Amino acid sequence: MSLVRFATWLLLLVLVVASGLQVARTSQEVRSLHVLREQAQREQDEHLAEYSRLLIERAALAAYQSVERTARDELGMSFPEDVERIEP
Amino acid sequence: MKLWRHYTVVGLFVVSCAGLVARVVYLNVTQREFLQQQGDARSIRFETLPAYRGVVYDRLGEPLAVSTPVVAVWTDPSLTQFDATTLRALTEVLDLDRVALERRLDAQAKREFMYVKRRVSWKKAEQLRALGLEGVFFQPEYRRYYPAGETTAHVIGVTDVDDVGLEGIELSFNDLLKGQHGRKMVLKDRRGNTVQDLEYLSAPQFGTDLTLSLDLRLQFFAYRELKAAVAGHRAVSASLVMLDVRTGEVLALVNLPSYNPNDLSNNHYQGMRNRAVTDAYEPGSTVKPFTVLAALESGRYRPSTLIDTNPGYFRVGRKLVKDTRNFGVISLSEVLQKSSQVGIARVALTLDERAVYDVLNRAGYGAYVGTGLPGESIGKLSDRGLGNPVMRTTLAYGYGLAVSPLQLARAYLSLATFGIRIPVSVVKQNDPPKGRRVFDADRVGEILDMMVGVTEAGGTAPKARVTGYRVAGKTGTSRKVGSAGYDDRRHVALFAGIVPATDPRIVMVVVVNEPQGKNIGGGTVAAPIFSRVAARTMRLLGVKPDSPVSPSV
Repeated sequence: MSLVRFATWLLLLVLVVASGLQVARTSQEVRSLHVLREQAQREQDEHLAEYSRLLIERAALAAYQSVERTARDELGMSFPEDVERIEP
Repeated sequence: MKLWRHYTVVGLFVVSCAGLVARVVYLNVTQREFLQQQGDARSIRFETLPAYRGVVYDRLGEPLAVSTPVVAVWTDPSLTQFDATTLRALTEVLDLDRVALERRLDAQAKREFMYVKRRVSWKKAEQLRALGLEGVFFQPEYRRYYPAGETTAHVIGVTDVDDVGLEGIELSFNDLLKGQHGRKMVLKDRRGNTVQDLEYLSAPQFGTDLTLSLDLRLQFFAYRELKAAVAGHRAVSASLVMLDVRTGEVLALVNLPSYNPNDLSNNHYQGMRNRAVTDAYEPGSTVKPFTVLAALESGRYRPSTLIDTNPGYFRVGRKLVKDTRNFGVISLSEVLQKSSQVGIARVALTLDERAVYDVLNRAGYGAYVGTGLPGESIGKLSDRGLGNPVMRTTLAYGYGLAVSPLQLARAYLSLATFGIRIPVSVVKQNDPPKGRRVFDADRVGEILDMMVGVTEAGGTAPKARVTGYRVAGKTGTSRKVGSAGYDDRRHVALFAGIVPATDPRIVMVVVVNEPQGKNIGGGTVAAPIFSRVAARTMRLLGVKPDSPVSPSV
């Protein structure tokens, strides 16, 4: 076997091994990225759940009926019976 | 030496080797595609990643429809047989009846998919996940909440269990709200557990948020007033539509009866109809301002033109037109103020055959409003038979045509804008709408002044008055059509009004369907609702009073 052919063979071997390792590394990376993505997805869902819960809670607190009830019963407010017009 | 034995063995080896090679080549080359497909079909699954549906807000940013992530818990009954511990855990966490669940599992034993429970809250799903139960799978989904409940139910509508719009805005803006589902490819083992995510084909795209033109505060108040009135008059139903004059936006749209969109389980679809949009009523006297407008347009009448309504009744063909009492000789203005049938009929008969029809047509009677709310009624306005004087007179005082409350509000909007017809919208508008002029501004101004008389002393609707503001309006009471012509006991009470009359800000139409009791006219049933809602609205919108206030200062 000539030296050239041996060198070519060796080079190819090295390349094959290197690419094999690279494949292993990449698929490992893919897996961990998937895990990260899954985690992010879960976090997003959690945040969305929290966000929508807060939106609904705010709506419940700001509901016109409860605001009016608080104003009337707790703060003793009322709509003016007689309209007064104040000119500046 | 018996060489043949050796050769036979070698020969058999060669033949079987060749057979195996041939088989491998056959499977790998010829049948490869088929086998690959079959293999994939058994292990590769596509999963849908649901998109977050857009939030619907009112004009001030209050949420009206919000999606919240929940989880569907499912299993594959054909593969999984739950043991007692799993069953107990499932029934406990998910609050299910054990017997019912077992029965369901038995019934579906041959199927590959069965929901154990849908719309499970996130917390409970996490609890289950932590238990690591065999054969229990989780699928994300969303559930819709309507914080304002029945108050906005008709406008917003509902979605079904798969988050697809069924009614209202949810239906008509479904494509915008729903976004785009994502998809991913996963590898599953024999038992249905996901082994590996192979590929994300597309990420879910969130739906677009939508801001409506509704003002939740006005909506709440209108709903409450309407509810009280329906209870007080024992009415079948009622509707209220309020429009912003400057933008053509719908500020409030309420119907009774309503329903709770958050819980449709014990609701037999009662009250789901958006009557303000889908139901057409005969408008009765509420069309009279348009008849008077036709009279002004003819050039033969002024608001002060005197009309002889003696002796309080009047025959057109075989039809008797009757006033509540004899008003004598009154001005055109007073004809409108007192809602004289005789006066209006007399005036209508002197006009061109198509004059009243033409005005109604320009105001948008009998034409789609096009707000995008589903099931919109076109109403009824026909130019057939206008050669017949009876048809012309009935049209002049609001019979023989039908309008939805929304259409009526749109018609009054063209008066409130001093003759410009602008598009009506349930979605918040950022730019002022482009309208087109359909009536002369000065004539409409005269009509509005005459309509203010309706809510003043001597008019038919002093109860529609709002302290501090001039109210231009018109009452209407129409009989409903029963099995044998017009039914004298079933009425519709209407009031349509514009405040403040000097520089209009809102148009409001109140329709009460079949009120019971003695006084069931538009002036006694619908006008007070208008007054209370309008008073509150003027305060909330901060509209400057245009009328001197009682001297209480």
